[in-house]
Amino acid sequence: MTAIEVPEVDYTEYSNRQLVLVPLAVLAVAVLVIGGWYVATGAPATLGLEFTGGVELRVADDAGGDVEERIETAFDRDPDSVRSIPADDVYVVTFRAAADDPEGLASDLESQADAAGLSVEAIDQVSPSFASDTARTTLFGLALAFLGMSVLVFALFRTFVPSIAVVASAFSDLVIPVAAMNLLGIEMTLGIVAALLMIIGYSVDSDILLNNSVLRRTGEFYESVSRAMRTGVTMTVTSIAAMLVMAVVATVFGVGLLRDIGIILAIGLCADLMNTYLLNVALLRWYKFEGVKR
Amino acid sequence: MFERVKENWRVLLLVVVVLGATVALFAPQFAPETAPGESAENATQGMTNLQYGLDLAGGTRIRAPLVGYTATGVDFAGETPTQVASDVAAELEGVSTREVDAVLGDDGSGTGGSDGIGAVEVTATSVSETEFREAMDASGYGYEGIRSGVTGETRDAAIEVIQGKINEAGLSGGSVQQVQSITGEYFILVEVPGQGRQDVIDLLEERGTVEIAIAYPDPNATDGTARTDGILVQDDFENIGTASRREAGSGAYVPVSVVNEAPEGERSPAVRFQDAAVEYGVASASGGARCNYDLETNSLGESSDSCLLLVVDGEVVNAFGMDDGLARSMASGGWADSGNFRLTTTSFADAQTISINLRAGALPAELDISGQGTSSTISATQGENFRLYSAIAGIFAVFAVAGVVFLRYREPKVALPMIVTALAEVYALLGFAALVGYPLELAVIAGFIAVVGTGVDDLVIIADEVMSEGEVNSRTVFDSRFRRAFWVIGAAAATTIVAMSPLMVLSLGDLSGFAIFTILGVLIGVLITRPAYGDILRRLLTVR
Repeated sequence: MTAIEVPEVDYTEYSNRQLVLVPLAVLAVAVLVIGGWYVATGAPATLGLEFTGGVELRVADDAGGDVEERIETAFDRDPDSVRSIPADDVYVVTFRAAADDPEGLASDLESQADAAGLSVEAIDQVSPSFASDTARTTLFGLALAFLGMSVLVFALFRTFVPSIAVVASAFSDLVIPVAAMNLLGIEMTLGIVAALLMIIGYSVDSDILLNNSVLRRTGEFYESVSRAMRTGVTMTVTSIAAMLVMAVVATVFGVGLLRDIGIILAIGLCADLMNTYLLNVALLRWYKFEGVKR
Repeated sequence: MFERVKENWRVLLLVVVVLGATVALFAPQFAPETAPGESAENATQGMTNLQYGLDLAGGTRIRAPLVGYTATGVDFAGETPTQVASDVAAELEGVSTREVDAVLGDDGSGTGGSDGIGAVEVTATSVSETEFREAMDASGYGYEGIRSGVTGETRDAAIEVIQGKINEAGLSGGSVQQVQSITGEYFILVEVPGQGRQDVIDLLEERGTVEIAIAYPDPNATDGTARTDGILVQDDFENIGTASRREAGSGAYVPVSVVNEAPEGERSPAVRFQDAAVEYGVASASGGARCNYDLETNSLGESSDSCLLLVVDGEVVNAFGMDDGLARSMASGGWADSGNFRLTTTSFADAQTISINLRAGALPAELDISGQGTSSTISATQGENFRLYSAIAGIFAVFAVAGVVFLRYREPKVALPMIVTALAEVYALLGFAALVGYPLELAVIAGFIAVVGTGVDDLVIIADEVMSEGEVNSRTVFDSRFRRAFWVIGAAAATTIVAMSPLMVLSLGDLSGFAIFTILGVLIGVLITRPAYGDILRRLLTVR
């Protein structure tokens, strides 16, 4: 059995400009994707039921037979999406809230499903006005968490460049998964919001480790970086492994919340690897060799 | 001996916490309280004392605001609340005084009001904000502003009505509370385990029957009591006030008014009530009846006058006599013109019950579920499946972590305690959940997985730091390295707590459970399990 060894990177071969280029390019693409999404759809991401309003039914087949076809004909409105859960013989049928949303839509859909011999395992109904409230609360919460983290980081390091390096890479860690979600067709749900908040907490760990190693410890710069990297990469890879496995298992069993958290955290942590060891290292090196002298 | 305890107190603390968690999880003393009529086996789900939320046990959750508009800071100009309410109602077309309520002393802003200032609310769904504003202007009472939503009193009353219904229907574990969104709007949150969506909505919308009957002495009857039902029924009441305390002396009352209009040639309910009160001897020119009614045997006590009975769903819930002044105005026939009277009680709680009962289980304002609310239902089988599936997902995630850690260190001495410590953290959290009876939800399970993630991260930091720079050959070297590692862990823990704390207080679905358990996990980790891991590692690594 071979041990996983964190590869040593020879940073001296690359200039700061080269190191920063990749993460900044990725961030720029991500911002463009989100901006484009906003212009095209009026929202920065594909919003899920909780943010748009609508009804989601989880139906199981109690009689046997072609469920998908029966779902097509069962309802008097066309479902916006029908998803099957492989391990559970259950279908998730989503109806978005429409402008002409009739009162009691959820009850109608429930009785229509019953009439078609589909047993309803779960119903989630969100009204559009409640959904827009949720969206506002979410933005507020994310902003507050990010602000709190930034203030704390500045308080911990008390120097501008290292602190802004942490905050910038955390920002990029948040933006990249959202852009990736848009491209992968994943909808924004409350589970994703939880995952994004978790990224704020998780991604800062490796940044703090790096900053601490370089700034607060004795030793040569490259040695400090490689020491922090050995620990930091192990940490992040462990978390990515756990999240990917959780995402796969949860997808198979149709546990939406866990799947969303798993996917988004895995993407966010990958982005964090890049941002910490390219963007953050470059900023720190500039600060250590040039910034301090000024 | 003492020296050894002192040296290993961190490990011992972890052992104590794990034992404590075991007790909380398995000891029958910590089992969830059983609801009335429920056996202990039903209350405890499965072999542990853990309680499961709707996600994992099945049930329905409804979150919706009460519909209405409230005029705040209304100057009552010395009028009684009933008068103000009926004046405002008169300006609104097709709205009965039942759907308008005035509350003195609460200016509707939630901060309490000054004398003569109160709030007026309309709960009729047909009234728009503009119409209400116009009606307030036309009624001539000064006010500060109009906001959507109802008064705090009405929300409290609605919550009591819903709680009463849940209890009455024997739905154990059902709960109702109010939550506030960041926009300041109040929502009523109803959770009923094990019930489908339509069942819960039907329960909320269903109205019980309420009527007023009169019991009067009858020498021919075996228990000396005769009864006439249906003196006043639900629809005869026009306006049912909220329970209020008496201005002077003890006691409380519920102000009510009885409909005093009727089509040509018919007696109005107020007149009918007045005539019946006189006929059965509740009211006479000399004064009102003194009531002494035994609710147990449903009969009049000895030497009792006639009694007014409050009958809810066929059962007598209260009996009362009549005030002398009111009785005289009934006897003289003048009372029916106004139709107002107060149902007096000895205690405020009784008055509240009567007020709720008189509303006949109807909510004081409508819950707008499809317009502005949300509802979610999960069947019991689906909930149980979720329990299994999320456990599988969690276990696989732990295996993944363990796999990477073993591959990275290839040293069971380092990796094994790491996994065990991280699991101990989750176990302690489960114990905590069982202890405080916090229902486990999918979001909480996600929180557990997050805790394993951050936990192992921190243990990796400790292990790498301690093992860096060659052999750990003395306790001092170990301690200084451990302390260095701890600065990073503390900083990382603080950022996680800061990032999660908004979720804890914002009303975003069940994500507050996720945030609470992630933060708790981080705290347990920093304070208990990670120092313990340090101690274990020291014992294993220091060369003696």
